Amino acid sequence: MKIAVCGKGGSGKTTISATLTRLLARRGLPVLAIDGDPNPNLVQALGLGPGVEIESVPRSVVERREDENGASHMFLKQPVAEIVSQYGVKAPDGVTVLVGTRVDHPGAG
Amino acid sequence: MRSIVGEIVSGAKEVTVMDMEASIEHMSRGTVKHADVMLVVLEPYYRSLETAGRIVPLARGLGIQRIYGIANKLRSPQDDEAVRTYCGNHDLELIAAIPYDENVVEADRTGRAVIDYDVTSAIVQELTVVAERLGREISAEGNGVGGKPNV
Repeated sequence: MKIAVCGKGGSGKTTISATLTRLLARRGLPVLAIDGDPNPNLVQALGLGPGVEIESVPRSVVERREDENGASHMFLKQPVAEIVSQYGVKAPDGVTVLVGTRVDHPGAG
Repeated sequence: MRSIVGEIVSGAKEVTVMDMEASIEHMSRGTVKHADVMLVVLEPYYRSLETAGRIVPLARGLGIQRIYGIANKLRSPQDDEAVRTYCGNHDLELIAAIPYDENVVEADRTGRAVIDYDVTSAIVQELTVVAERLGREISAEGNGVGGKPNV
């Protein structure tokens, strides 16, 4: 299951994301939390403590390739599990946290 | 349309929780389209509800079937009523109503997760119900952690 948490800035979205992540993990589920907010504080809200800096997933994990119809798309250059183990950081309750790439190109791909 | 986070989420085997960008204008469709469930956090203020009013149709347009409201920072029965009325009028199922919780502020001030600061906090109690429900939905999907097929 892929869960997106949305809301206005300051709504408590990050606290809710982090707390729900920890609670799902306590139910024995493997959970990957992804900070997609350019103002990153999910890491602290998950309980990793102040001052913990996590390298965000770099743009170099993708490349552009043409699909079978000749349209250009973004493709991951390595398996997702490898990206998660390389850039993911372990948080309490067995949660893994990834910090998303800061600049998205919504018009691309 | 693709995004790096979207591609990672799409291929991840784990249950994934994405803390999305605050601004709907910048919310990457390439990321959101992979969501099975969207949780929309609602504060009982006009601008928060207005933001939700723009997020929900976008999410519906992307084909997200399960869109649930979570009310947060409720300080009075009037706040509770305002959010419930909004959800009723917009066909949005409200799955949690979290009161304003001073523990969130205190946990943040001391750099801790609120669940570690005080597990009896109202926000933790309310979200436990949400986690139980999502846990049941994940089990019902019957394929481990569930989710849309990877594309």
